Amino acid sequence: MTLLMRGHFYFLPLPVPAAAVPGNSGTLILVKKMKALFVILFTISAVICFSFSKKFNKSYYNFYTNSLRDFKQQQADLENSIARTSLSSSADLQDLHDQIEKSRIRLKNIDFWLRYFEPNAYRKINGPLPVEWENEVFEKFEAPYKREGAGLSLAEISLDVKPVIKDSLLALIRRSQEAIKTYEADSITVQLNSYSHFFLANRLFLLNLAAIYTTGFECPDTTRVIPELRSMLLGTKEIYAHFNESFPETPLSPEYMHAYEKTVDFVSSEPKGFSSFDTYRFIRDFVNPLFALNQQFINKYQVTSISFNDYTLNNDIQSIFSKGLYTPQNTKGIYSLVEDEKTLQEIRHIGKLLFYDPILSGNNMRSCASCHKPTEYFTDTVARTALQFDQQNHLPRNTPTLINSLYNHLLMLDGKHISLQNQGRDVITSSNEMNSKEKELIDKVMSCKEYKDAFKSFLKLTPEEKNITLDHIVSAITFYDGSFSRFYSPFDDAMNNKTTVTDEVRKGFNLFMTRAKCGTCHFVPNFNGVKPPYIGSEFEVLGTPEDTSYKELSVDNGRYMVNKAPETMHAFRTGSIRNAKYTKPYMHNGVFKTLEEVIEFYDAGGGQGKKMLVDNQTLSGDSLKLSAADKKDLMSFIYSLNEEIIFEAPPAALPLSSNKLLNNRRVGGQY
Amino acid sequence: MKLICCTGFIFISAVFLIRCAEKKIEYNLPQPMSDQTRAVYMERLDKGKTLYKLNCSTCHGIFTKGKDSIPNFTKDQINNYRAAVLMAKDQRNHAVAAKMSPQQLDYIILFLSLRKHEN
Repeated sequence: MTLLMRGHFYFLPLPVPAAAVPGNSGTLILVKKMKALFVILFTISAVICFSFSKKFNKSYYNFYTNSLRDFKQQQADLENSIARTSLSSSADLQDLHDQIEKSRIRLKNIDFWLRYFEPNAYRKINGPLPVEWENEVFEKFEAPYKREGAGLSLAEISLDVKPVIKDSLLALIRRSQEAIKTYEADSITVQLNSYSHFFLANRLFLLNLAAIYTTGFECPDTTRVIPELRSMLLGTKEIYAHFNESFPETPLSPEYMHAYEKTVDFVSSEPKGFSSFDTYRFIRDFVNPLFALNQQFINKYQVTSISFNDYTLNNDIQSIFSKGLYTPQNTKGIYSLVEDEKTLQEIRHIGKLLFYDPILSGNNMRSCASCHKPTEYFTDTVARTALQFDQQNHLPRNTPTLINSLYNHLLMLDGKHISLQNQGRDVITSSNEMNSKEKELIDKVMSCKEYKDAFKSFLKLTPEEKNITLDHIVSAITFYDGSFSRFYSPFDDAMNNKTTVTDEVRKGFNLFMTRAKCGTCHFVPNFNGVKPPYIGSEFEVLGTPEDTSYKELSVDNGRYMVNKAPETMHAFRTGSIRNAKYTKPYMHNGVFKTLEEVIEFYDAGGGQGKKMLVDNQTLSGDSLKLSAADKKDLMSFIYSLNEEIIFEAPPAALPLSSNKLLNNRRVGGQY
Repeated sequence: MKLICCTGFIFISAVFLIRCAEKKIEYNLPQPMSDQTRAVYMERLDKGKTLYKLNCSTCHGIFTKGKDSIPNFTKDQINNYRAAVLMAKDQRNHAVAAKMSPQQLDYIILFLSLRKHEN
């Protein structure tokens, strides 16, 4: 049906008459009959195809090309204005500000398409930063990409930095004009002839409504956030109308259109002020229900994707606040093809024993649980940074909680590892941490009958492997510790309309997403550095100090150690704030003991705000000017993200080894 | 006469089958390559071969061109398949690929890419 709708022709294979056996006198008559049959069938199919193809409505396609043309014109006008202006008076600057704003409004009207079709070109039209380094999940095995930003946001910012340099302003807009041509390519416009891309672009649009469009991300002038949001919603409504006209067989239902109408009304009725916008209600009552309906369309219309934007997103979940929203790290590792529930439980059981077993360390005194204490949210809430293997020095970084770590595409605070299994291997074999040698470790583990029997049967599950390897051990552990990330918090339940939260929590969330500017880095729904379409992890430069005297920056180079670029110096992967109440101390080096200190640090404007010299700080150096009541509300919101995790008691004993010396080991290790 | 024919046929098929089973798969390895690197490659290729035989050859093994009953996929086919899996857009019955770890998929794709085609 859809193929016909597009105006394409296709032929079903013609059935061959069974009697058509050559070699006797009937052949000639048969051939004549076949010819007649063929002519009739051909005529019928031609008529059918023609009658369908005639009806295709180009309204949606034309709306795209016209909107794009208008935006290009706007950009050309802007370029001319910049070229002509003398930049001498404040009136000149104001004029440019206004022109940029006009362009932004036009852009917002077609944001729906541009961001989905070519995210990298979009970055040149309205990028938030001059340079970003990305490592997307499907390109995990490759080096990070340098993505250069240009366009409206950066032009607007450069107007406020004196002296304003005309050439750099022009360059930003010209690169944007160059990028917009991408959207005229056949490879993109051909997608407009079928409906699939529409529901996927709409999904990304709805996710961005929840995660970034209300936060001031890519919108330096915060007074414009809500007016731009409103204009974008109205622009998208027009896209919807044209789509429904061109694709009457696969429309957005009246129910959806009605709910969308109400969303527009809500945003129009909200006060225009950015900081008083009720993001809580906006997401819970409007965006999330629209998302659920759109997911139903994706399934009902059997939408298929050709874009990497959809790579991790799951079609089967009904809420943005579902843990299945996007595919997380693979916890099964080498056991990926195992599906039998009973076998998986056996693997998990062995993983749990190993997690607590100091046999994994070189001196049989340390286990995973030594630092990732299962009684303390799989972190260490006492030590600023954990002890090294030598029991004297400390490691450079704070122990992160393992809960929800699988929702990061890159692991470790510098993004060194691409999988949980690589991370596990590294810790076990690192001389500073557990200091084991692979072969020795496997021999020790296999000296315990319980482990030996288990791994012998697990080996059969991985026919590609000839011997039991460290991967068999590590994958069992990741399968165990990954199982504590499936729980929900009261805030999730409220967003899913199961319960309610207090007014303080709502106020705190609204602050978090607007004036306190937390939501521009800690993205909905996991409040970590993974933003829609959830295919990469982000890193930020905050200017975290070495200690609370704020005299010097932390000596840790962060992401720079993995990807040497000026922008990555002192950058760290954004952590999740879920369960933050229970995961002290904070920051990569554990410098802050309380959440109050963390909020105070951000409120001051990070390292720059504390008068330290920080290059490329991605957090504004200005104070957020939060009041004591604001801070209290933020805390209430953060506490509402404490997940209702069901923890388990440690194993009573560890498997006995044939080597008696190994049988003194303590559950969980000694230090 | 019949008996001789039958026996002869069985004998020839048996020889043919044994030959096939023993047929060693050859690879186009990047050159030059140290012995150590070669060992790593061979280990991975071996894993890819096993995974392929267990998870893919049920469908991609019969009526194919290669004598080792592995189809001679072209470079484009392999690249397209990789892209399809990565984008999770593959609508054919490739559910098994979605279950595999990225590492396992990589073994298979390495194996198919480097295997010398048989005609």
